[in-house]
Amino acid sequence: MHFLIILIESLIIGTLVGLAVGVGAARMFNAPTVQALGAFRTLGEMNASEGDPASHFSFGLGFFFNAWASTVAAGSFTQDVTHRVIPNWAAALLMLKNHDEKQMHDAKKMGIAGAIVGALIVAFLNLTSSALPQSLQITAVKVLVPAATLLINTVMPVIFWLAAIDGGKRSGIFGTIFGGIAQLIMGNAVPGVVLGILVGKGVDESGWNKITRIILITTIVLFILSAFFRGIDLTLVKQLNLGVPAWLRQIHSVFGG
Amino acid sequence: MDKSDETLKEQELDLKNTKSFWYADWSFPIIVGLMSAGVFAGTSMYFNYGTGAFNEVAFVAMLKAGMTGGSYGACAAFGASFLFARVLEGSLDGILDLGGSILTGVGLGIPAILLSMNIKEPIKSFPLALLTGAIIGVLIGFVIYAIRHFTLKQSNSTFGADIMMGAGNDTGRFLGPLILISACQASIPIGLGAIIGAVIFYAWKKPITGGAIIGAMIAGLLFPVKV
Repeated sequence: MHFLIILIESLIIGTLVGLAVGVGAARMFNAPTVQALGAFRTLGEMNASEGDPASHFSFGLGFFFNAWASTVAAGSFTQDVTHRVIPNWAAALLMLKNHDEKQMHDAKKMGIAGAIVGALIVAFLNLTSSALPQSLQITAVKVLVPAATLLINTVMPVIFWLAAIDGGKRSGIFGTIFGGIAQLIMGNAVPGVVLGILVGKGVDESGWNKITRIILITTIVLFILSAFFRGIDLTLVKQLNLGVPAWLRQIHSVFGG
Repeated sequence: MDKSDETLKEQELDLKNTKSFWYADWSFPIIVGLMSAGVFAGTSMYFNYGTGAFNEVAFVAMLKAGMTGGSYGACAAFGASFLFARVLEGSLDGILDLGGSILTGVGLGIPAILLSMNIKEPIKSFPLALLTGAIIGVLIGFVIYAIRHFTLKQSNSTFGADIMMGAGNDTGRFLGPLILISACQASIPIGLGAIIGAVIFYAWKKPITGGAIIGAMIAGLLFPVKV
């Protein structure tokens, strides 16, 4: 029963995602005239295979093994399933017949091929991973969780922070301010640094216009709200060795904080 | 004129009119809706059965941290800010980045926000997850459609998307060595297994992360460790 539920749910998910990935990828060849869904790296990589179904297939296969290992180990498909495996295998499927590169520019055909490939891949990944013996799962937790924790809490903030600093004066300043505050409020600097880069580079490239102002104000509001709901203001007042004023306590209790 | 030329011509005609479902702007929200429904339901499967999340191990681990009693905050903020940045960027350059907007934003950020507010139903129930995902996706699609129609060509900034993409890819490279380090800390056989796996994958010119994980798993199967 458990097996059947996973199979059915996987087939539904795979078909939906595969269809959207196929159509989105085909539309990329016509962007920006047509709004597409995908990634620049997918576009480049699909062009690199030059209409040869075998090279599309083997390119996808390399990432498929990586995705399989990751699913078996941690239940995560990796982004490569939607970025690389499905689009390239769908293209390979379409080109089997006449090796024609134009096939993968056709959104309808890519959508159908993507849906088939997606359903099969998702079902395969989920079924093999859920049939795993207990001792393997313990190993996976033992190995992957510490590595992922290090990555999220130390490596990612540092890399994004350095990228913001290298990105220019504005992105460095905004990245440092928002990154530091995000670390204080959310316990992780990455979202703040990302927003800092967004604001800094946005202003660098297009000046202080309506869009960049809206982004900056939204960011600040987002920070204030999340600080409030996580009770950061109360903690701050306490750490400054001050008493928490009654009105502030009252506002928090109104919102259930 | 053979058949493929004909279809190509039809396709160009479609493009010119952008009327056909497959190329029109109005159908974009539907496509994003389908995508989001699948990805959100994938997160639902991960929540229920521990498999099926459409994202990198490192990012899914943030959701896992919340599920195992920690805070959903990092995951919610990370996902939401990526979604925000990608929606803006995607409507300006014509390609909505699947990874940042749907996989990370809809697949991790929004579930984390819901779970942190103790709203579990849309993630626990599979049909509800499909529905929630579809609604969120259609909304995102419409936002992009709107931005595209009101601000097209007013701004040519990518908002530092290249910097973020570069940093994101660099982060991925760190995972391989980090897995080797934590495998070596788990036990000596698992450490040796991970080293051998990584070396074989490196020799095959594949990312060493996969090899390290497989090697560690095989060693863990033969010489199990306790939790």
